[in-house]
Amino acid sequence: MENFALQTEGLGRIYKIHGNRKEKAIRKELVALKDVSLEVKTGELFGLLGPNGAGKTTLIKILTTLLAPTSGRGMVAGYDVAQQPQEVRPRINMVSGGESSGYGLLTVRENLWMFSQFYGVPSKEAYRRIDSYLKEIGLTDRAHTKSSDLSTGLRQKMNIVRGFITDPQVLFLDEPTLGLDVGASRDVRRIIREWLAADAKRTLLLTTHYMAEADELCDRVAIINKGQVLACDTPENLKRRLQKDVLFELATSPLNGLPLSALEKLDGVKKATLRESDGRAEIKFMLKEESALAGVINTLTSANVKIQNLTKHEPTLEDVFVDLVGRSMEDEEHVESD
Amino acid sequence: MQKSTFARSFLTATWLGWQIESNWTDPFLFAVYSIVKPIASAAILVVMYGIITKGAFGDPLFPYMYLGNVFYMYVGAVMTGVSWSVLDDREHYKTLKYIYVAPVNIPMYLLGRGVSRFITGSIAVFITITAGVLFLNVPLDVTKANWLLFFPTLLVGVIMLAMMGLVIAGITLTTVRHEGFAGEAVAGLLYIFSGAIFPLDVLPAFLRPIGLAMPTTYWLELLRRSLVGGVAQAFPTLAGFSNLELFGILLALTILFSFIGINTFRYFDHKARERGMIDRTSNY
Amino acid sequence: MSNQTERLTGWRLFIATVIARAYPRVIGQQRDISWMFFDVIMPLGSVAAYVFVYRALKAPEEYIGFVVVGGAMTAFWLNVLWSMSSQLYWEKETGNLALYIIAPNSMMAILLGMALGGMLATTLRALVIMVVGSWMFGVTYQVASFFQLFSIFMLCMTALYGMGMMSASLFLLLSREAWHVANLAQEPIYLASGFYFPIKNFPFWVAAAASIIPLTLGLDGMRQLVFPSGPALGFMDVRTEIAILLALCVVFLTAARYLLAYMEKLAVREGRLTESRR
Repeated sequence: MENFALQTEGLGRIYKIHGNRKEKAIRKELVALKDVSLEVKTGELFGLLGPNGAGKTTLIKILTTLLAPTSGRGMVAGYDVAQQPQEVRPRINMVSGGESSGYGLLTVRENLWMFSQFYGVPSKEAYRRIDSYLKEIGLTDRAHTKSSDLSTGLRQKMNIVRGFITDPQVLFLDEPTLGLDVGASRDVRRIIREWLAADAKRTLLLTTHYMAEADELCDRVAIINKGQVLACDTPENLKRRLQKDVLFELATSPLNGLPLSALEKLDGVKKATLRESDGRAEIKFMLKEESALAGVINTLTSANVKIQNLTKHEPTLEDVFVDLVGRSMEDEEHVESD
Repeated sequence: MQKSTFARSFLTATWLGWQIESNWTDPFLFAVYSIVKPIASAAILVVMYGIITKGAFGDPLFPYMYLGNVFYMYVGAVMTGVSWSVLDDREHYKTLKYIYVAPVNIPMYLLGRGVSRFITGSIAVFITITAGVLFLNVPLDVTKANWLLFFPTLLVGVIMLAMMGLVIAGITLTTVRHEGFAGEAVAGLLYIFSGAIFPLDVLPAFLRPIGLAMPTTYWLELLRRSLVGGVAQAFPTLAGFSNLELFGILLALTILFSFIGINTFRYFDHKARERGMIDRTSNY
Repeated sequence: MSNQTERLTGWRLFIATVIARAYPRVIGQQRDISWMFFDVIMPLGSVAAYVFVYRALKAPEEYIGFVVVGGAMTAFWLNVLWSMSSQLYWEKETGNLALYIIAPNSMMAILLGMALGGMLATTLRALVIMVVGSWMFGVTYQVASFFQLFSIFMLCMTALYGMGMMSASLFLLLSREAWHVANLAQEPIYLASGFYFPIKNFPFWVAAAASIIPLTLGLDGMRQLVFPSGPALGFMDVRTEIAILLALCVVFLTAARYLLAYMEKLAVREGRLTESRR
């Protein structure tokens, strides 16, 4: 048990949604998490990957003692999050992407000091850590800037330092690169890796809906959709599941009314996804064997669809998601929001 | 038929303002909420008056004070209604920038947002006056009141207040969020200088000219005269003016304030865009 | 970086939290001086309006002093209402609330920090209103007992901010309606607590019910102690008022503690700590 920094057993959460005035009597229930069982070892960088609304943030809220589960249980550092929040809290911290925490009229250094005090870090030690992390993250010249004057990227860096300075055993990062530009995202990922590597007792749980980020950063990844964990393994192992499949991407002219299902029914075609825009179509195929491609091309050309480009590629986590859910993550988000 | 930008901005904002003001609770609670505050404010004055005069509610000073205070509710309601949404949309709902990029006439939008407070204010005014007539001997006789003077005065006054609200809205575009709010602050200060609850003669002589320059002074006097004619004669401040003269002054000052309001808003609107303040949040 | 270095726990963590949360309140006062306008000029405006009403009514001069003292104390009521009771709603909106909850400190310490910081900052505002108001309207004071005056002020503040802490926990469950509830409580309390007139004029049971708000007895007691004619217009004997305020302190602070724990549990169960319903 001690080996696991995080552990959940059959964790579930149902939200009761109250209707507006006219629909007061109607009570809907939303299943945000369903029977989630996960184990994260100490020292791991564990990723929760899924589209918006998959239940990632709900899981983080439960594990950080902000929300009670409606079924199952969650353990952090060996303590039950619902029953022993007072034991859990000294051992964790959390940073969410796009958050605007702190007080705008305090400087970066003052905000960080204030939060360190809530964890009982002695002031002298707190300032030492603040200055050291600010230097590492490249914010030293902004230490005395009011946090209301920071840009989104710089504020997010400040928030990440806020997560570090209390030296938690388990740090929860909820979409830490949300809304950041490429450069700032890269910085944030580097800092996360370095922080974790500096001490073997640290564990980090990260949620993201960026496939590449999960692939690049995480030791292990749980793919989560509609509140359920669909797969949990290292990125390599997840991708290896698809290695026997062949992945092709075709850029074509518009499909002229040819339904995607006509392509999916072809022999040897496992899955196909379509994206159409600006008089162009992009079709991704997952084939059981390379020879099935001939049938696909035949069908397309006989429907007067012109093939402009054809590429074969190595499986990514995106392909793993498509394999598990049957739709791309982006499509899944569209379906959810409809 | 395509509505004009003016009408569209105004009507959409009116609908939105009403939703924001009212849909956080059920209609009954909302009604209670809308009248408790003004009734409590009026009650403070009634108690003060009752204590000092030992309950002599028949004195002309009482209806003067009571009605002045009642109609003054419009000052806070309309001025704040028009200007508050600048802060609310910018800092809280974070929609001001989208309103700005939409093909919307901003002043008309703000005026529309003020309508809901005008409506709830009117309900409060009506209830407070009714309570005054029923329980506190306010000598208002609906058959004798000069309605031909009352309604035009009310209308011109509301326009005048909306224009003053536009001035505050403009200033708000370039200031930060604060617990207090400029609309209420200005309304609070005007309260002293408009002869709302005490005749201007009570003010030190050097402050009286401020009161005489304020359109609210003439507006409140006209409203009082139209409802309880006799009361107004008891106080010397504006006794020398006929109703028509007072209405003329009110109208002239309203036109002046409309000019000031529109131009001030335009000036601050320009400043705010120049300094990039349309989409900022002060996050205090 | 060392792992899990020595950290303060127990009462030392409590004190550190109180100081840290009070810090932005005190420092904010220096950095953002627009409060000068809103929190001093506005209450002074109300004071002036009510003073002139009394003048128009030819009221005895001590009523002018009553209004000035009452006006100064409105600063505390506004602070408790807007920066204590409804504060957790704002903290929820910005995301701070979640961070307070997941930290190992006690929420009581956070609220106490807010209260102490707010009280310090507001005392300065109240003093400015009092000094300027007294100067403008020529109010003079004659203190009967400095000790009693100090006691009644401190007890009034403790009970008032205790009440603020208690209501703050109730606000944990509120969202957009929080603003309206706070807004609704402003004027009725001015009326019930006698900010601008002595509550002795109310029927006994009305005044007694209003005494639930600590400012009611605090104001009444302070007026009795600083104006020569105060005792004649006072609601109860000052010593009785001190005893009642002491009881209110105990009740509100204890209730705040239990209510906060209960509300936090309830909010965690219902998922209301992090929602943002604008």
